[in-house]
Amino acid sequence: MNLKEMFKKTTYVSIKDSRNVREMQSKPEVPKGLLKKCNVCKAAIIAEDVKNGYYICPKCHSYFRMHAYRRIEMIADDGSFEEWEQGLSSDNPLKYKGYEEKLKTLREKTNLDEAIIIGKASIHGSEAVIGVCDGRFMMASMGKVVGEKIARAVERATDLQFPVILFACSGGARMQEGIVSLMQMAKTSAALKRHSKAGQFYISVLTDPTTGGVTASFAMLGDIILAEPNALIGFAGPRVIEQTIGQKLPKGFQRSEFLLEHGFIDEIVEREKMKEVLSDILKLHEAGERVPCKGKRTEEAEIKNEIASAWDRVQISRMKDRPVGSDYLNILFTDFIELHGDRYFKDDKAIIGGVARFHGRPVTVIVQAKGKDTKENIERNFGMPSPEGYRKALRLMKQAEKFGRPVICLVDTPGAFCGLEAEERGQGEAIARNLFELSDLNVPILSIVIGEGGSGGALAMAVADEVWMLENSIYSILSPEGFASILWKDSKRAEEAAGVMKLTSKDLKELGIIEKIIPEPSHLTVYNLKEVVRKIECSIDDFLDHYEKMDVEALKNHRYERFRNM
Amino acid sequence: MIKRVLIANRGEIAVRIIRACREMGIETVAVYSEADKEALHTQLADEAVCIGPAAALESYLSMENIISATIISGADAIHPGFGFLSENARFAELCDKCNITFIGPSAEVMRRMGHKAQARNTMIEAGVPVIPGSTEAILDAKTGAKIAKEIGYPVIVKAALGGGGKGMRVAYSEEEFENSFQMAQKEAKLAFADDTMYIEHFVEHPRHIEFQILADTYGNIVHLGERDCSIQRNHQKMIEESPSVAISEKLRKEMGEAAVKAAKAANYTSAGTIEFLLEKNEQFYFMEMNTRIQVEHPVTEWVTGIDLIKEQIRIASGLPLSMTQEEISLTGHAIECRINAENPKKNFRPSPGTITDLYLPGGQGVRIDTAIYSGYTIPPHYDSMIAKLIVHADTREEAVAKMHSALGEVIIEGVETNIDYLYELMENRDYRAGEFDIEFIERLQEGN
Repeated sequence: MNLKEMFKKTTYVSIKDSRNVREMQSKPEVPKGLLKKCNVCKAAIIAEDVKNGYYICPKCHSYFRMHAYRRIEMIADDGSFEEWEQGLSSDNPLKYKGYEEKLKTLREKTNLDEAIIIGKASIHGSEAVIGVCDGRFMMASMGKVVGEKIARAVERATDLQFPVILFACSGGARMQEGIVSLMQMAKTSAALKRHSKAGQFYISVLTDPTTGGVTASFAMLGDIILAEPNALIGFAGPRVIEQTIGQKLPKGFQRSEFLLEHGFIDEIVEREKMKEVLSDILKLHEAGERVPCKGKRTEEAEIKNEIASAWDRVQISRMKDRPVGSDYLNILFTDFIELHGDRYFKDDKAIIGGVARFHGRPVTVIVQAKGKDTKENIERNFGMPSPEGYRKALRLMKQAEKFGRPVICLVDTPGAFCGLEAEERGQGEAIARNLFELSDLNVPILSIVIGEGGSGGALAMAVADEVWMLENSIYSILSPEGFASILWKDSKRAEEAAGVMKLTSKDLKELGIIEKIIPEPSHLTVYNLKEVVRKIECSIDDFLDHYEKMDVEALKNHRYERFRNM
Repeated sequence: MIKRVLIANRGEIAVRIIRACREMGIETVAVYSEADKEALHTQLADEAVCIGPAAALESYLSMENIISATIISGADAIHPGFGFLSENARFAELCDKCNITFIGPSAEVMRRMGHKAQARNTMIEAGVPVIPGSTEAILDAKTGAKIAKEIGYPVIVKAALGGGGKGMRVAYSEEEFENSFQMAQKEAKLAFADDTMYIEHFVEHPRHIEFQILADTYGNIVHLGERDCSIQRNHQKMIEESPSVAISEKLRKEMGEAAVKAAKAANYTSAGTIEFLLEKNEQFYFMEMNTRIQVEHPVTEWVTGIDLIKEQIRIASGLPLSMTQEEISLTGHAIECRINAENPKKNFRPSPGTITDLYLPGGQGVRIDTAIYSGYTIPPHYDSMIAKLIVHADTREEAVAKMHSALGEVIIEGVETNIDYLYELMENRDYRAGEFDIEFIERLQEGN
């Protein structure tokens, strides 16, 4: 009902008040800078809310680009930032017309000398060298000064044995400096290589946008690469790609989420949590002493469940309610940070890897992950890793080697994924590479089979100093079904096959394939998992105690001989 | 003088403000959400501006949108009504920055009174009675017992991080204290992982008595007597009246003076309300100050003959109060019932929907403030109060009879309402006798 049309219109006769009425001083208006508009949702927002809210739109949660000093304030402990190499400025190497004037104007406008700020700071007490690009200065393109400042920052960090954190935000190379700008890619990469060779740590944080020569140099070289949500990250810009291939690009292409899925970054971190995450990562890369485990050590005499047949154990190892890798992760370790991606193609969800603490000691943990239900199993491909999974595992193990962290693997896979795509990307090569590299890794490796140890897919994570098995887990050349099908052309004879394959923990211990059997209750579930974990815990403690004391060459020889004698 | 007011609210209060403005010769701008296109306030105002989608957070609570609407529509003042942004200090501050007159107190006052501890301290300094309580965290029963004795029994032990009644225990005597303290502390530890406790004097069976005050920018402050709002459910007021049967002329004077003192201490301007808890022994304690117009303001208007909204606008325009304390007296008795679209049989669940038929009563001493009309659809997004029925008569007895009669005439079809529930309340012997406290409805519900 439209009442408005029916109501009598009011005609206003102003009632004058004889007393002294305050006149309105001036017309209402919004003072400059009070409100601003979000570029994404177009809503009016209070500028102060943006400033106090991590420069995130309070309405649509999209991210505003940030000034470098604001970013530093957000990350560094109060007053801890010490700026380095202030005042370094470009000398116009190509004598490009108008470039010097442009720089001068920008310097005045932004109060910045150049497009990056570098220096030293502490983050919740952890010291680091940090560099932050500022997009206001020629889209933070990397000219000679940016390259030089990064190189100097990294070199000083190497000397000081400090980690480096670089926040990338850049359009790429600086056209006005031409080929000299291109060389900065090599310069920064070379400085980072030396830093890495010195065993030092580098975290790269990608923010919107990170493109061109910056992506193709320092931005992609982090030991750990983080990104802010929805940041544009790529080598060629999306417009250039569209023009070249004559096609529209899919939604989300070259965004952080796309890169995470494709294995190029370790994690997407929201701005509000960035300082905490950086601090946690830094702390995990500082020395951490192991607190010895005081509990009782495992006695093999505890293993009483002798009645179960090999086939029974096959069934038990595959039980739906048997705890999966992620269940162990949460109980056995603390402060776990998952790291993603193989840096080539994809992040394989059939393998979970990252850094955590075991009784205070930072360790690298790699877990073959089955799902807890059908949905998760589909996502995790039923625990069958693809080549990218093995490549991720190897990447993380190499990092463990660099930072002197022991590696603990939990094995639970029916086998490496068998499929077209896996072959296309070299499943065989990926497994072989792991066997090759693991045999010579400088740090102790422990592998524990917690469920199924299926063939090469399991071995790729079990070239270790010791291999242990849960009492009812299995480890074999392939599944009993496969064995029966190849030798007897009848997969239905799997039960019979299980009996002759010697795949139980007891058989394998007798064969000298494994070192230890972890007793388990007759029906192991997440509810009584703690019981088992407690037993594993003390054994791991003993393992680390023994192998971490060993000389590196002796350790590697021991591993070599372990397989040499099989 | 204010020339054009934007009303940053909806429902009956927006209509109430529009009417006052029209009578004063002030132009009105309504703001509305997408769900309120057909609402009465949208139709009644001289101009209406859509400020966003149905969700209040994106419309009636969006400061940016409301400020923008004010500038665009050329209004020079904002009346915030109650609820929504009415007690938001930041909003008042923004108005100030944009040269828009906020019809209400200053941001600073709102901030101070909105902060529980700060408000309490302000009152203690001003000599306004507050509920005696511990000033420091208490961690053990022994210290607690000592403090409880100082405060005086009965006492209530509360978790510092408490809420929802968890970690709360009453002790009536020293013998009971240790047990009560330990029970409360145990609960607190479980519920909030913190066992820091506070102790307060336990006000037994109190009434909710509030005093209306008006203060101008020249330091003149008056009180307009009390409202008894003890009839409430889950801290939601249901029936309010003025004067209160529990208040003698002497006590009114005493409490009124305390209210004025409180407003003065807060450096208050505009219309405001000081809420007290009144114990049986006539001891009263400051609870909080509401820095806005109240839902139940009409009962005060009727017994004093003062239009509170008009006074608010006059004060905001820089005019002095149009009355002195001596000129204010309470005549007769007024009662207000809040009519809600809700189902009392289903735990007062909101019942939005379309009103198919509507009949509202009238006659001498009957006032209805509402924004509903026949064919109107009550949106599900906002408060369920759809009308206020207010009556006035010489005595309380007559007022109750009038309310009873008027409620019997209200017909609202299409949605569930609490009218029958209110109608029956008017027949309740204790209510009729004026014998009730803030637990009245709770006890009634338990009895059913």
